[in-house]
Amino acid sequence: MAAFDFAPAIALLPFVSFLIALTVGKHLPKKGALPGIAATAGALLLSIWAVVAVAGGEYHHAVLYEWVAAEEALSFHFGILIDPLSAMMLVIVSLIAFLVHVFSLGYMNDEGEIGLPRYYAGLGLFTFSMLAFVYADNLLMAFMFFELVGLCSFLLIGFWFRERAPPSAAKKAFLVTRFGDYFFLIGVVGVFATFGTGMFASVNGFESFPELAEAALAGEADVNTFGFAAETWFSILGLLVLGGVIGKSAQFPLHTWLPDAMEGPTPVSALIHAATMVAAGVYLVARMYGFYALSPTLLAIIAFVGGFTALFAATMGVVKNDVKQVLAYSTISQYGYMMVALGVGAYVAATFHLMTHAFFKALLFLGAGAVIIATHHEQNMWKMGGLKDRLPVTYWTFLVGSLALAGILPFSGFWSKDEVLYDALLIGLENPIFLGAYAMALLAVFFTGFYTFRMVLLTFHGEPRSDHAENAHALGWNVKFPLVVLGVLAAVAGFINMKPVEDLTGAEILYLEYWLDGEYGAVEGLTYGAYNTLVADVSGLGAADIGPLLPGVIALAVAVAGVALAWVLYNDPEPEEHTARLGAVRDLWYNNYYQDEAQVWLARNVTLPLSRRADTFDQGVIDGVVNGVGSVSLTGGDRLRRIQTGLVTNYAALIALGLVVLLVAFAVVGGWF
Amino acid sequence: MTVPIEYYVLLSAGMFCIGLFGILTRRNALMFLMSVELMLNAANINLIAFALLHGNLTGQTFALFVIALAAAEVAIGIGIILGLNRNFGDVDVTEATTMRW
Repeated sequence: MAAFDFAPAIALLPFVSFLIALTVGKHLPKKGALPGIAATAGALLLSIWAVVAVAGGEYHHAVLYEWVAAEEALSFHFGILIDPLSAMMLVIVSLIAFLVHVFSLGYMNDEGEIGLPRYYAGLGLFTFSMLAFVYADNLLMAFMFFELVGLCSFLLIGFWFRERAPPSAAKKAFLVTRFGDYFFLIGVVGVFATFGTGMFASVNGFESFPELAEAALAGEADVNTFGFAAETWFSILGLLVLGGVIGKSAQFPLHTWLPDAMEGPTPVSALIHAATMVAAGVYLVARMYGFYALSPTLLAIIAFVGGFTALFAATMGVVKNDVKQVLAYSTISQYGYMMVALGVGAYVAATFHLMTHAFFKALLFLGAGAVIIATHHEQNMWKMGGLKDRLPVTYWTFLVGSLALAGILPFSGFWSKDEVLYDALLIGLENPIFLGAYAMALLAVFFTGFYTFRMVLLTFHGEPRSDHAENAHALGWNVKFPLVVLGVLAAVAGFINMKPVEDLTGAEILYLEYWLDGEYGAVEGLTYGAYNTLVADVSGLGAADIGPLLPGVIALAVAVAGVALAWVLYNDPEPEEHTARLGAVRDLWYNNYYQDEAQVWLARNVTLPLSRRADTFDQGVIDGVVNGVGSVSLTGGDRLRRIQTGLVTNYAALIALGLVVLLVAFAVVGGWF
Repeated sequence: MTVPIEYYVLLSAGMFCIGLFGILTRRNALMFLMSVELMLNAANINLIAFALLHGNLTGQTFALFVIALAAAEVAIGIGIILGLNRNFGDVDVTEATTMRW
């Protein structure tokens, strides 16, 4: 199939643009933006072509380069796996990357930033890493590009490295995600040690580790579980990999890096939040979902972490004053929803929300970026206001994105979030423990609606509250074009999987579900249906049987209540700060539940003394033993060399004595006496 | 009448010990060579005595080999001693200790 012949180019095109921007970027007219735009546009076209091919009933797997081929089927290689999930993700990533490149023309070039070749090189490498991560066919390759994604976010968040905050934010993002990735690394080693393979799919003679795990649980395959019961060991492995996911997808308790990452340029924030860095975590769980679906413990943990994060982050978003901070917390919260969905076996809902969120969150970030350009780099919402008339395109697209984020009918976010909540409720009614996750996620809907519209009203409505907002300048096409594209997508993307409508009318319109269930083409075993069977049979999570209408209405009502509250409080020409009325709660939320402080305390009072002890142990015991061995042999040798007198007589005497001793020894042993 | 084998063995042991004593006590390298010669010939006596006892010529043949070997050894030994003399101006083995640690 011709479409897949170009599959490696999907990731390599941005890599080429990275090289171009790095080497000759400063001589190019737009400092490397144009190769980046061309490369991501090319990657987008090729991805769409791949989607068309997958829709034609094909999938693609190829091993590109094998660098370790051991005898017993253990193989370390770079390979490409394009199935419905990765094909869809490729399109999302390359589309967002393309729009972010275009937007950067307005946000970076037109604002006269310096260091642009470095910026575009970073974007190119970022896109390359994420695309390669998305179609990685094995866990090791996924891990390598997962790390590269982390590195790129470090480079881009710290783009303005001459200021004080960005380098520290970049370091924080890198270290916090590295902390999670450390567990992921152990998990990768564990998976390879257990199954001898890290393949995601059983294709081309490979066996995938989720299927081996399933067979091992059924007692049909023999794997090395290091003395644990198979179920326990698989849960441990799953938790280790989940460490990386929690770090990257900014789930509690490793979410603290993400709000700080707002120090980076806004287009980078859009890329990180919508399509790359943060999406990587959730995507990884979806990619190896066959493994997670095997363990009810893992599913419950995922659902709870997700539900808690969704609520937790949403409450913090309520009191922030910086428009990008509000969006940052909404990202954490929305990825919480995806985790809830994955935790209740709702693979389609999670992927659906991943997709719609990519569109509306990229839209909101780019919209916020447009506002920031127009108001001369003002980010405080209290100094905006009244931008509705000055920036109509930005206002209307931002409004669409906000409606989607808040989950208002009929925008995309409603359909996906509704499906997440519906699936969580189905599982929750049968397995009460999951009801907690559902309740937290449902409550978070209220906060989401509230903070989203607080943001919209403060930014765009009312009277301008500063000179910058008064004199907002007009925006170029390169800002408006991405906003309009994403605005349309954020409005209509939800129509591909309208569960309540399907239930009401009986029309077969769950296109995304059919897509992921392999109706068009898929790798056997990597389908929604297969995962559902695993969740139901192996994990034993039954689902209740109720229609999607009532849960949908509840979710919508809660969202509308949040929006209405924001409307009542802040739709005022001169809005007041109502947050003070929250009292102590406001301080708690404004300071992020003192999470940063708690983590610093942990580092300072637990890790540091522990490291000191370890250092003492290392310097004293480990080094002591090594140095001791050295000095013992040194002194011993110094003493021993004294017998080397250089006198032939002595040597002869020693030889003669030795012979006598030998003879006597033989005599005694041989019993001659 | 024949000489009993014990006398040969005692003679050879005596000669060997004299040679060993010479090597262990003398400082002159030439004395070393002579002592080694004594030890080799002690071995020869043994070889020939046991050849006679067993009526077997192999021992005598080996004695001939040992004589040839001794000649060669002396040739090399004299060479070494010449070198010793040239480098240290003496043939005292206790002087030549520069090769040790």
